[in-house]
Amino acid sequence: MSLVDRVKHALAGDDRVDAEQLVARLDALQRFLRVTDPYLPDNDLVAAHTLVERAGSRLALSQDHTVVALAGSTGSGKSSLFNALARLKLSPVGVRRPTTGVAHACVWGPLEPANRLLDWIGVLPRQRFIRESALDGDDEAALRGLVLLDLPDFDSVERGHRLEVDRLLGLVDQVVWVVDPQKYGDRVLHNAYLRQFKQHSDITIVVLNQADRLSPSDTDIVLTDLKRLLEEDGLTGVPALATSAKQPGMLNELREALEKTVAERQAALRRLSGDLDVVAEQLATTIGPPAAEDEVDRATVRQLSDALAASAGVPAVAAATAGAYRHRAIASTGWPLVRGMRKLRPDPLKRLHLSTDKPDAALEAEPVARTSLPEPDAAQKSAVGLSVRAVAARAAAPIPPVWAPALNTASRSRLGDLPDALDRAVAKTDLGMSRKPLWWGVVGLLQWVLTLTAVAGLGWLIAGYAVRVLGLPAFDNPKVGEVPLPTLLLLGGLLVGALLALLLRPIVNYGARRAGRRAEQRLRGAVTEVAREYVVAPVREVLNGYAQAREALTVVRSE
Amino acid sequence: MARSRPQDLAAVLAPDPPVEPPPAVGDLAQALSRLRATIGGTTYPLVMPSAEEAKRIGAALVAQLDDYLLPRLARLDAPLLVVVGGSTGAGKSTLVNSLVRAPVTKAGVLRPTTRSPVLVSHPSDSSWFRNGQLLPGLTRTAESSTDPKTLQLVSAPALGPGLAFLDAPDIDSVVDRNRQLAAQLLAAADLWLFVTTAARYADAVPWELLTTARLRGTVIALVLDRVPADAAGEISAHLAEMLTARDMGGAPIFVLPESVLEGNGLLPEDVTRPLHDWFAQLAADSNARAAVVKQTLDGALAALGPAVAGLAEAADEQATAAKALDERVTAAYRTARRSMENGLQDGRLMRGEVLARWQEFVGTGELLRTLESRVGQLRDKIVSAVTGRPAPGRNLQAALESQLATLLRGVAADAAEQAYAAWQAHPAGTALLEPGLQKPSPDLPQRAERVIRDWQQYVLDLVRSEAGDKRVVARGAAYAVNGVGLTVMIAVFTSTAFIPTGAEVAVGAGTTVAAQKVLEAIFGDQAVRSLATRARTELIKRVNVLLDAEAARFTDRTAAVGLELQPGAALRQAAVEVERSREEVALTGTPS
Repeated sequence: MSLVDRVKHALAGDDRVDAEQLVARLDALQRFLRVTDPYLPDNDLVAAHTLVERAGSRLALSQDHTVVALAGSTGSGKSSLFNALARLKLSPVGVRRPTTGVAHACVWGPLEPANRLLDWIGVLPRQRFIRESALDGDDEAALRGLVLLDLPDFDSVERGHRLEVDRLLGLVDQVVWVVDPQKYGDRVLHNAYLRQFKQHSDITIVVLNQADRLSPSDTDIVLTDLKRLLEEDGLTGVPALATSAKQPGMLNELREALEKTVAERQAALRRLSGDLDVVAEQLATTIGPPAAEDEVDRATVRQLSDALAASAGVPAVAAATAGAYRHRAIASTGWPLVRGMRKLRPDPLKRLHLSTDKPDAALEAEPVARTSLPEPDAAQKSAVGLSVRAVAARAAAPIPPVWAPALNTASRSRLGDLPDALDRAVAKTDLGMSRKPLWWGVVGLLQWVLTLTAVAGLGWLIAGYAVRVLGLPAFDNPKVGEVPLPTLLLLGGLLVGALLALLLRPIVNYGARRAGRRAEQRLRGAVTEVAREYVVAPVREVLNGYAQAREALTVVRSE
Repeated sequence: MARSRPQDLAAVLAPDPPVEPPPAVGDLAQALSRLRATIGGTTYPLVMPSAEEAKRIGAALVAQLDDYLLPRLARLDAPLLVVVGGSTGAGKSTLVNSLVRAPVTKAGVLRPTTRSPVLVSHPSDSSWFRNGQLLPGLTRTAESSTDPKTLQLVSAPALGPGLAFLDAPDIDSVVDRNRQLAAQLLAAADLWLFVTTAARYADAVPWELLTTARLRGTVIALVLDRVPADAAGEISAHLAEMLTARDMGGAPIFVLPESVLEGNGLLPEDVTRPLHDWFAQLAADSNARAAVVKQTLDGALAALGPAVAGLAEAADEQATAAKALDERVTAAYRTARRSMENGLQDGRLMRGEVLARWQEFVGTGELLRTLESRVGQLRDKIVSAVTGRPAPGRNLQAALESQLATLLRGVAADAAEQAYAAWQAHPAGTALLEPGLQKPSPDLPQRAERVIRDWQQYVLDLVRSEAGDKRVVARGAAYAVNGVGLTVMIAVFTSTAFIPTGAEVAVGAGTTVAAQKVLEAIFGDQAVRSLATRARTELIKRVNVLLDAEAARFTDRTAAVGLELQPGAALRQAAVEVERSREEVALTGTPS
């Protein structure tokens, strides 16, 4: 196969880049960046941001033009080649080094549509030249749409040239590297430039300029060595041509290659596609295996809610509920004579500012007061901290470690609101103490009846004693067996009342225990809700972001 | 077509050869050896911006001391070594061949060409170069090879005695070893013959090297090769401008036009004649040679001072960085200790433990157990009512061990995270970290439990040894108070004419016994409190040991890099000695 055919094959080796697919990939990259912006460190994402911006601008500008740059070391003959390709003396050539300080552009075709493109690239208006004139006829028609740039060098003492080259190389669609027999093995050329274009083999051409200084056999030797160096750089399949600006006949291959590029109008798309591949490879380290959103498993959440319950004082409230049940039960069903003594003791639930007599519906609407539960002590705070950490660690286990800081921050993001939220949850929970059980009323009534009976008996006895003292004739008390009725009433009422109170004790204790257990269950449920909302939900958000980023990156990496 | 006149060189450089006193030169050599040892022994293990630079410069200085300064100082009358260096493709090998009129090194069209350096000398000088004092790291061979660690020695009778050429590898090709070797060889030269071409004379890399040479005061001569005939004047004028702009105006420039090589690959004789004559003159005049040698040597010695000062600064920065890293770790764990102490502030934890052990030890009955713990609670309530601080209203439900263990684990986890984040913010710290340091050590729970159990053993021993005594004291004190109370009661009864009957005495005695138990409990509670304070102190001490071990995971890493206390001081001292000796020797005849 001749060199021309080889070049054609190399350039057409890849399938044509589908513009729609490219746009879809760019959209996916933008999605990825939007989702991961709050979670991943900025350094990793800078290259992707730059690419998205640049791609947006390039695709908005003229697609009919292909920007090709001539890049190389000082003295390699870029400007001479530039002039030879344009067949006009446009770029100044000289023996003083370095020569070209600013980029020159030559446009084949009308200047106007290319102007915006050149504005974006940053070529000064006075360095822009048009190539078509009436004198040429159709000779230059094949290159219509080509914008050829003559870049400055990248290895002279003038540092500014190198910076300009670096900037421009990021913006062009295709690069022609111009090397010469003296400098083709330079470190700067290979390490700093050619190696960075590994992913862009399809838009790279390397020419060995000043080939007229070598004999044909020497040219072949040098070309072979050059190809070996290119292989080492990772640029396989890149055409290496021998050219000479002084002998126009040696420029034909290069010209044909450029014509083909211009005709295909694929260079810009290929360049962006190659850049996307580079960025996707860099970002591949941030995404690993899929992570289900309920990675935070039940055991960890249970541990978390246990720790939160301990710190919110749930055991104390449960104990207070049991105590309050007992207190109120005895206040309702105890011996009426000593019932009043109960009031000297505090109601445990009221001490915690937790008792309420309002029905449930009203609980939802009103603002909730803070309870009087004491603050958690240091050990409980430690336990909460440890279990929050465990939640984040569990969620971070299967995914790449770069997401770990984001998960840690998320799990702690609402930690400051947690004490208040727990307190509110405890205060709003219905502890089941708002209504008195029916049997309390019944027993209480019974106690009152017995007491009244005793009082009646006492009154009868006092009346009899008063009658006797006043000297009135005594009246006979009816007798039940040997015992007079009033005495029976008095003693019977007191004894039965006391017995009733004693017998009820175990029942009351059992009821108190049940009430305490019920209250604890409900409180735990409320605390688990708080745990899910304040700790697990932010972690789930981050995992959701990860899943979305993963999906977006898959689209970006699809060819 | 040389720009400066060669005959002025000798006049400018050497007024008269100084007589060097051997002891001074010996002192200088010793000072240089000490400096070399010090530089070799200084490490820059922490990753910092200045560390990379310092390592590079340190290695270059050591290489220069070994390759050139020490051997040259030992034999000041050895032949002059001209190192021919330059960019790839400049034509160094062709030039060397042409100067000695024999194809001693292989030139070719592929870039880069020369792989191993070639040293061309007169046969009478070859013994000096063969014995390996100069450039000791390179093996001497007789044939050409591609191994850069070898030095090919070639004899050329056409070269005059007292002068030798070294064809060095290029300074800017893809092959990295060439570059490093070229820099090393140029540092070992007495005279640099720098070859550049019309295409390359404005490249950045050669000018960096030339600037280094100027700073060291090395003697340089430039060859502008492959100049197109029509451009010779313009290019050489531009080159002269650039040299003057960089303060190197005194270096001679030789311009060689682009010519067709002769059959054996040599340049035509008329092209190389000026250069050839210049070197011939230099070879013939031993004073001029000596002057060149001394100027380069003196310049290299003078340049050591500033370079070593930079190394000393970098070494001091390392020590400062290590200290800063340790500081951050200490601060993090100090916070941990404070949290632990605050967490143990609630005395009831301690008192509960001590009381439990006491009661188990003395076998207290259940009734008195309740009594004794109630007394403690009552005292707390009274104290809080008096002082206004709220009494703790929470029941201790969890076991003491699990509470302490959780507290310790939480505190250690916080401290580890804090220390990790502090080190991550420091550039050197990031390099020392590994992911496992962010959490406490994996066996911390077990070690914490062990510490707590050991402490509980201590409390048990404390109770056993001291409780007995304190209980006796408590009982005695209770008896005393009770006895006084009883006496007072009897006195009151008798004085008020209530004759104490047996019943009253019995009631009084019964009350006394009950009061006795209460009083015992009260005094016992005080004893428990004092024991609890001691237990707390001991616990804090043991916990501190544990936290120190945790902190050591970090500080061990900074200690492991093995920095000395004042690394920069040794370097500065050695440099000062070298400078003093150099001034004494006064190679160039003028005190500098």
